[in-house]
Amino acid sequence: MKNTFKRALAMMLVLCMLLVGFAGCKDNGGEINPEQAIKDAEKILASKEYRDTYKTYFSTSYSSLNYFSTSYATVREIVSNCIDGLVEPDIYGNYVGSMAESWEHNADYTVWTFKIRQGLKWIDHTGAETEYALTAQDFVDGIKYIGDPLNGAYSLRVVRNLIKGLYDYYWGLDDIDCGIDTTTKREDLEARFSEIVGVKALDDYTVEYTLESGAPYFLSLIESSMLLLPIEYDYAMALGEDFGVDNTKMLYCGAYYVSEFKRDKLIKLTANEKYWDAANVSLKTVEYQMIPDGTTSLEMFQRGELDYTSVESEAYQSLQSGEWGDNLIPNEFSFSTNYLWLDFKGANPEFNTFVQNQNFRLALQHAVNRASFGALREPVDPSRLIRNTINAEGAIFNSQGVDYTQLAPLADVTNADYSADPEAARKYMEAAIAELCNADGTIKGVTAGDVDYLPVIKTKVDGKLPVTLIYVGTDDESEIIMAQLFEAMVEQAIGQDYIDVELAFDTSGDFYGTVGGSVDGPFNYDIYWDSLSTGYADPSGILGRITTEGVENVGSYTVPEYDALIEKALAATTFDERLQYFAEAEAFLLKGAYMIPVISSLRGYHMSYEIPFTSPRCLYGNVRFKGLKVATEALTLDEYKILEAAWEANKNAKN
Amino acid sequence: MTKYILKRLLRSLITIAIVFVVVFMLLRFMPLNGYFPDEMIKETDEQTRMAYLRNLGLLDHPIVQLGRFVKNLFKGDLGRSITVYPKVPITTLLAEKIPVTAFLGFWSMLLGIVAGLAMGLMMVRFRDRAGDTLGNGYIMIIRAVPSLLYLFFIQVQISKWFNLPMVYYDDKPLSWLLPIISLALSSIAWYALWLRRFMVDEENQDYVKFATVKGLSKSAVLKKHIFRNAIIPLSAYLPADLLNIISGSLVIETLYAIPGTGGLLTTAIKQQDNNLVQILVLMYAVMSILGVFLGDILLTFVDPRIKLAD
Repeated sequence: MKNTFKRALAMMLVLCMLLVGFAGCKDNGGEINPEQAIKDAEKILASKEYRDTYKTYFSTSYSSLNYFSTSYATVREIVSNCIDGLVEPDIYGNYVGSMAESWEHNADYTVWTFKIRQGLKWIDHTGAETEYALTAQDFVDGIKYIGDPLNGAYSLRVVRNLIKGLYDYYWGLDDIDCGIDTTTKREDLEARFSEIVGVKALDDYTVEYTLESGAPYFLSLIESSMLLLPIEYDYAMALGEDFGVDNTKMLYCGAYYVSEFKRDKLIKLTANEKYWDAANVSLKTVEYQMIPDGTTSLEMFQRGELDYTSVESEAYQSLQSGEWGDNLIPNEFSFSTNYLWLDFKGANPEFNTFVQNQNFRLALQHAVNRASFGALREPVDPSRLIRNTINAEGAIFNSQGVDYTQLAPLADVTNADYSADPEAARKYMEAAIAELCNADGTIKGVTAGDVDYLPVIKTKVDGKLPVTLIYVGTDDESEIIMAQLFEAMVEQAIGQDYIDVELAFDTSGDFYGTVGGSVDGPFNYDIYWDSLSTGYADPSGILGRITTEGVENVGSYTVPEYDALIEKALAATTFDERLQYFAEAEAFLLKGAYMIPVISSLRGYHMSYEIPFTSPRCLYGNVRFKGLKVATEALTLDEYKILEAAWEANKNAKN
Repeated sequence: MTKYILKRLLRSLITIAIVFVVVFMLLRFMPLNGYFPDEMIKETDEQTRMAYLRNLGLLDHPIVQLGRFVKNLFKGDLGRSITVYPKVPITTLLAEKIPVTAFLGFWSMLLGIVAGLAMGLMMVRFRDRAGDTLGNGYIMIIRAVPSLLYLFFIQVQISKWFNLPMVYYDDKPLSWLLPIISLALSSIAWYALWLRRFMVDEENQDYVKFATVKGLSKSAVLKKHIFRNAIIPLSAYLPADLLNIISGSLVIETLYAIPGTGGLLTTAIKQQDNNLVQILVLMYAVMSILGVFLGDILLTFVDPRIKLAD
């Protein structure tokens, strides 16, 4: 009953979305002259008064401060400001030294050596220096900490597979712990850490990482992964499981330390006076308070109790004509891509026959109106969400500064407008039918029977046209709407005489366990909606995982041509060559429509007293407050555009 | 009486043990993926996830886990949160959260009782007149209108009109006002409604007619006779109400960003935080059984005619 009601409501919204999707894009306004922008930006910055406290909020609990054993989403924002890694991005996104003064790598990017700043010490939650010096060993110990399964480090995959020997060390300890290896003593293996694992303190201030394979993107991984941060091992070991449970059980070496930690209520960051770059830390205090919903944060911002608020697209319309209309600033980017997985080994014989056919997959690719999907999340300007590629635009650049998604032949996919020719979908479908069906509409090699996708759905297929496609989603309201939109647009574009989309919703609360989402799981779907994010400056982060044997190949496709290109990319000797092969691989996968990217996760707007482009440009990590300026008046969109144009011009001049 | 109390205590202990073991075992039937957020499932292979769970002791036989839990419990070790607040000792969590919820809960309970009884008295005193209609109107609104609507209205609009903080701050007493009032709204209605009902019932009793015939004033009859008798059944709920002040309200604590226990159990169940769920279930089971038990005992003090016996 509940689902029926949800579906009825959703259907009405779907019809609206289909209309919105075709409504076109918003004019983004004229170009701003770069030289003029720089002058205007200087005037804006000079005219502002600045404050030294910044009040912002969090919506999801910061459950613990242990940056190795907590999921990324909940702690990274605090940690990025309190524990410095070896490098950090400057305001243009170029890497500069942080805890490291300098670094070098060998020709194939497999050995990275960092010189650590000397004379630094860890500080405690009062800002006082401790007896612990920050040395190269702290970075080695960070890897040692995460390499021990008993410490329960989260999201290990990338780092564990990359650092030489770490994988073997981790599983060696695990084999001892679970009794598979009864001959080795745990302490003996631990003592051989530096012999097995490719991270070494060459002296007190030099740390060297040896990697399993060349990683030209290693600096971006240092920015994105908390697992490469340092730790004061003796301190952490003395605390045991208490390490990081609150601000008093932590040590800090970043621009800020956590001076106050009221769980689920308030977190106060105070500027670290002993910080190596203290002169460039503008804000003295950053106060985070828990505000669980957007309406409250918006209201509190308008009352002057917060310096930042996100604004959902729904609220945008009502604010636009009022007092705050000039202050609404679109959120800038999201590297997360939402896409449709196609199941190549599903139990539905009709879909299974068709999905192997490229024309059918292209029919689906052309039937999906990306702007309509975008309008669900961003009714004001859905076009800015459209994304045809797996890796995000603006995330990875070659040595000439060319965006990875604009490298040939991937650029063809990036710049294609699949929704522009809806008739193409039907033509591709007709081509597929000509290859796969008999003249009487029966599908070759398919007989009538049951499709068992239990516990989600069990249904029957008749082995004839229209082809039955089972779209499986969660019973979340927004997902129901997306599913119905998919059904409407596909059946409309391809025709109900050729395709019949059936929707099924998983109510178990364990979607990935019930439906798929990992190669270990069941595959109870023909199509489902998922997302992947470009986590660091290399396409391998996603593309390496979705090869035929890849850990994330949930669709179970077999594409040897793609695999071969990935192999070539990984073996490439230069970064540009590597990107080129990756671009070819990604283009091959997408031109064959083995998976169908649809939109980015970008959504919404914000209002703020922050002066943008004054803090490190963190593409892969979280916001860093170091250098951030906060004005006494809220920023306007016009000011933002000028500051953005000036930043762009300065960046181009610098690079 | 002593024998009765001992028997009740024994029965209560058995009930608590059964509730606890059932919940403990049910948690072990939950899917293993539930211990991980979606991002973790997508990021890690099954082997790593299993190693993670094994190191937490979650793959041991349920009986072994139960034995370990009970043993630690007797040593005063409530364990650590697994998923909601990874590795944070549950004693720390409860010590942080219960005082906040209990403080607001206590004042809202007091407000609920005082205002509710006052409203109930007013409704009886002015029965079928404006005071009664007003009280009934309030009760109807509280019971019929979805609580989110008026709670949200109070948070956003009332706070604006009276220039009050929209969220709770432990160092700003003014910010406590709206959460306490919001928490008390339904209990005011509850006490008013039941006091009125019990008093109207009592009004028809012979002893009331007798007192009236004796020439006692209406207000003296109301206060000295009707009210005192009508309050007896209500007093049975007081211990449970008092104990429940530590359980908090999910909606109100979320609205006002109160770092209390409201919603803690729901979150713990959703995220399969076994240790946290077990402790909270144990705590709430003890509270509810103790609440009923103490309510019965209190009745014997409020009304000496009531005797506890099998």
